[in-house]
Amino acid sequence: MSSHDSHDTHKAHGHDQQNHGPHHVTSSATFLKILIVLLILTAITVITSRFDFGSANLLIAMLIAAVKATLVISIFMHLRWDTPINKIAFLCSFLFLSLLFLFTLADQATRSMDGANERTRAPVDKEWQHPSTLEKPQ
Amino acid sequence: MSHDHGIVVPAPGAGFLPHTVAHHFDSPTQEFQSAKLGFWLFLATEILLFGGLFAAYFFFHQVYPETFRLGGQQLSWKLGALNTTVLLISSWTMAMGVRSAQTSQKRKLLIYCGLTLLGAAIFMVVKIIEYKAKFDHGFLPVFGGTDYDQATHQLSWFKDYHNVMVGVQNPSLFFSIYFTMTAIHGVHVLVGAGLIIWIMVGAAKGRFHANYFLPVDLVGLYWHLVDLIWIFLFPLLYLVP
Repeated sequence: MSSHDSHDTHKAHGHDQQNHGPHHVTSSATFLKILIVLLILTAITVITSRFDFGSANLLIAMLIAAVKATLVISIFMHLRWDTPINKIAFLCSFLFLSLLFLFTLADQATRSMDGANERTRAPVDKEWQHPSTLEKPQ
Repeated sequence: MSHDHGIVVPAPGAGFLPHTVAHHFDSPTQEFQSAKLGFWLFLATEILLFGGLFAAYFFFHQVYPETFRLGGQQLSWKLGALNTTVLLISSWTMAMGVRSAQTSQKRKLLIYCGLTLLGAAIFMVVKIIEYKAKFDHGFLPVFGGTDYDQATHQLSWFKDYHNVMVGVQNPSLFFSIYFTMTAIHGVHVLVGAGLIIWIMVGAAKGRFHANYFLPVDLVGLYWHLVDLIWIFLFPLLYLVP
């Protein structure tokens, strides 16, 4: 136990352990570079939104946002140098989020297949009605 | 095991205070890692909170693309881009603040926290200007109730005084989502600002230094999350594809 404690105390003074471990100190130059990249990516997001790529616009915007998010999480939030358990704890939220998106979009994509859910779709060939004013199905 | 009063982590020098490890922890590292894991789990729940709203966005965007396109055009992408820039820079100053705490630079820590606070203030002022403009258009889902008008196909809170959202289905939907997401995000900005003030009070007393910077680290993580959410909100709301 004593050897474990001395190891811990050493880590608490982690200033001299700058390259790895939970107390990683990132250089100012790295932080500044990341900020500049983030600002450039923001400009690219705005510029690409001015062009019409059809349905690819949403995909492009989300891909750039994902790159920006990765930089913020790994460098600004130090997750890159964090412990495996912390990485798993946080990154799992994105795993579960992707399940939510997957099943929501799968539901939506398959709704028009049988025509039984007309009420929830946006009609294209008839005057639109708010769902609450439609007659209840028998 | 005589940890009844907790281990004391020494101050690195004059002007700093020693830190007493909470008595139920065996070591400073255990305290640090426990708090970090807890905070990462909290941030995971934040991701899931906003994730549900993003799922609603994608669902309705798919159903009413024209409503979302026209709605997004009612927002000022210039103000949105300004706020994005402000938040990104404030995220950088916060990261530098944590670095200053890690390297026992009290003055720098206070300056970087102050700059981050300034970023939060600018963000909220711009947000208020934007909300005011939406209020003038009658887009604010606060007054007027949720009665449905059969003739105009509108909910009663949705006024659209200048008739800019005519011709699309469910025009109120975009603004419901816009206000729900940006208001919850705005609350996070305010909470973050409050936490940064708390950090500055502690920093002025010399509580945070190379041997103990846990609260600065955690508040920094919270502030980066606020930035992280906005990175996705900006293109989805202001630059609606």
